Amino acid sequence: MSEKGNQDRTLSAPGIHGECVPMRDLSREEVDFCIVGAGAGGGVVGAKLAEAGFSVVILDAGPHWNPVKDFVSDEKDSRKLFWTDERITGGGDPVELGSNNSGKGVGGSTVHYSMVAMRAHPEDFRRLSLEGAITGADMQDWPLTFEELEPYYEEVEEALQISGPTRYPWGKRRRRYPQREHELNASAQVLVRGCVKLGIPVAPAPIATLSAPHRDRPPCVYRGFCNYGCTTNAKSSILVTYIPRAIAFGAEVRPNTMVARIEHDERGIVTGVLHFREGGRELFRQRARNVVVAGYAVETPRLLLNSSSSLFPDGLANSSGLVGKCFMVHTGEQVFARFSERINQYKAPPPGGAITEHFNRTMLDAGFVCGYTIEVVGPHPVDFSARLATARGMWGATLRHTMLDYNNYSGLGIVGEVLPQWGNVVKLHEKERDRYGLPVAHVLFSFHENDERIIAHAKEKMREIMEAAGGEDVWSADRTAHLLGTCRMGHDLSDSVVNKDCRAHDVPNLFVCDGSVFPTSTAVNPSLTIEAIAARTADRISEMARRSELMPV
Amino acid sequence: MVEEQAFQTRYPDYNVLDKWSSPDWDDQTREVVRKRLEEIPPIRFFTQEEARTLAAVAERIVPQPDRGEGEKVPVVPWIDEKLVKDERDGYRYEELPPQREAWRLGLAGIDETARALFDGKSFVELDPLSQDVVLTHVARGDAPGAAWERMPAARFFKSVLCITVVKTYYSHPLAWNEIGYNGPSSPRGHVRKWEGGADPWEAKEADNR
Ligand SMILES: Cc1cc2nc3c(=O)[nH]c(=O)nc-3n(C[C@H](O)[C@H](O)[C@H](O)COP(=O)(O)OP(=O)(O)OC[C@H]3O[C@@H](n4cnc5c(N)ncnc54)[C@H](O)[C@@H]3O)c2cc1C
Ligand code: SF4
Repeated sequence: MSEKGNQDRTLSAPGIHGECVPMRDLSREEVDFCIVGAGAGGGVVGAKLAEAGFSVVILDAGPHWNPVKDFVSDEKDSRKLFWTDERITGGGDPVELGSNNSGKGVGGSTVHYSMVAMRAHPEDFRRLSLEGAITGADMQDWPLTFEELEPYYEEVEEALQISGPTRYPWGKRRRRYPQREHELNASAQVLVRGCVKLGIPVAPAPIATLSAPHRDRPPCVYRGFCNYGCTTNAKSSILVTYIPRAIAFGAEVRPNTMVARIEHDERGIVTGVLHFREGGRELFRQRARNVVVAGYAVETPRLLLNSSSSLFPDGLANSSGLVGKCFMVHTGEQVFARFSERINQYKAPPPGGAITEHFNRTMLDAGFVCGYTIEVVGPHPVDFSARLATARGMWGATLRHTMLDYNNYSGLGIVGEVLPQWGNVVKLHEKERDRYGLPVAHVLFSFHENDERIIAHAKEKMREIMEAAGGEDVWSADRTAHLLGTCRMGHDLSDSVVNKDCRAHDVPNLFVCDGSVFPTSTAVNPSLTIEAIAARTADRISEMARRSELMPV
Repeated sequence: MVEEQAFQTRYPDYNVLDKWSSPDWDDQTREVVRKRLEEIPPIRFFTQEEARTLAAVAERIVPQPDRGEGEKVPVVPWIDEKLVKDERDGYRYEELPPQREAWRLGLAGIDETARALFDGKSFVELDPLSQDVVLTHVARGDAPGAAWERMPAARFFKSVLCITVVKTYYSHPLAWNEIGYNGPSSPRGHVRKWEGGADPWEAKEADNR
């Protein structure tokens, strides 16, 4: 074990335009906050804590990308952006992981996300009250209300300069978006045409990429490789927004740093983390007065469970026994159809520019609660051909023939609510170990009947939209997206792992601040909600510090 | 099965590599694609026999009868490289062994199935139609062979074999040409993104369509 650092105590980090920016070296200090994971949650909470004057180090298992030099216009090469270490997946409906939902590197999954930037709705925070108990599901109201989160949605929308319509028709009435909406691409035109024919309301989508220049970042050029890293910096990932802010305010962002375990003293107070660096097998220690875990809903519970000790035999912050429970995804059913006009679905950000939340509501006549949002998708050929192979079971000459029409296919996809179930879990695998010898995550997932009804309804609606728009050869692909739950927020140990400030109920100086804290999944893309929660958490921590409520003083 | 002879592209004059020096290709992308074209890795993981079986399987999953031996999109070398480096995908189904084991076992299984169904002949000895019969059984999960008692055939076919072969094929510029995919697009990006719209640097269809 060692606590090495540079002699001169300064480091340099890649800036967003390929330059080097100076950065403090905090490796030998006891920092106020050590944050594990530099994604949507960790990046925002880290930057805001640094701005509030705390000493902050943000550790991430992956690299610190230089957007103008490292990102490549190529699907295959982009595997480097994803969490490709082994995880074992099972259950009745095993979830695909990896490039589908897990980033690795500074910026986290926002480096390659599709940028749909949605607010959850007031109802999403009180699903148990609204829908009542549902057999087989473990619904819960959030301890937070929409009204408490609303100013933070506004704050992150401003920071990320979300582009969207002047008047967005769903959810609570809101101010206009910071930037004007994007022009529709062909796939979005298809969605609009189909919806208009069927009388389904449809609107421009809020998207986290610039439609006009902002400070030192140019507007989107519609190259469409957003899921493989944006080379122009138009995309408002955490990598090019909050991370530079964190570094400018004195945080250290330490890449290629895999946290193996969170340490605590004999009182159960967290004292720092042990981590591996640059793929080496030597363990380093980062001392910290507080630790924030933000590794997303699979790695976060894995780290807590891997931090078990004689004091916490079932894992850190797990006196509730709920760490890893109620793992959720979103249903992500996609439907494709062929059109006579060329679509060229690879152009522009995959969300295309249009969206409908018309079915994001409880529809008892259709047999489901909660609902789903319909969005546009635009896979490049490697991804598209893989869908043909896995969803349609196509191979051989049929596959190659179908691919000849790649440019004429257009796609839709949903973000459908998945109900929480105790039986859907992330736990430690009994035998499998990663390259550091750490137990890997074992993910077990099965759909609830309600989830399946949503999928069936959405499939049918998307087919109708495609047909109304003039599509032929309509087919669908089963998918899921996003990772949520596993460290839900709530009132006390009987119902949750953390409180509404993301603070662990049973370890006062440990916080969890990422997609893990969602008690229910909502039927919209999660990143904006994760970021709003993180922004609020940072403010709450500053407030607690002012009142000397942080531990240890 | 669809007839194989005619994989007629609608973009006969399109070659994505013509744009090599255009504002659609940045240096890092050029380097990645150059390596894919020029530095085809040697076979290091598979045995010669396994490599031959996989080559025959790949030719059925993505047939290239329109290309001569030296002109085909290479598939086996890239899968071999993935396995030499043991590059994982970020998840593994419970019922599958680690990928290296899965590939070895799966290729052995395909041969077992071939021998069971076709008088002891190995997969590479079969005619294309019989090879398709073998692969159809594997894909459906009702293939004979001891390997498939240790690893479910359908899961291996869908989530390991077929998807990897297909993805490897469509990573290659020759595949991009035949489907008219624009390919790399940094820094220039796109302007005409509406239905039927095409930028002058995108693939053009032949007039006879
Ligand atoms: C292809 C794709 C498209 C998406 N599209 C959208 C979209 O359109 N809209 C939307 O809202 N959301 C989208 N998402 C989801 C969104 O990106 C995530 O929900 C969000 O980034 C999750 O935030 P997080 O902070 O929980 O985790 P992440 O952003 O994933 O960050 C977690 C970070 O923690 C690091 N880490 C984990 N464990 C450790 C450890 N032990 N030590 C050190 N570091 C560790 C990881 O390397 C990673 O960088 C998309 C995701 C993907 C993959
Ligand atoms: S389409 Fe826009 S956001 Fe996406 S990669 Fe290109 S410039 Fe970036």
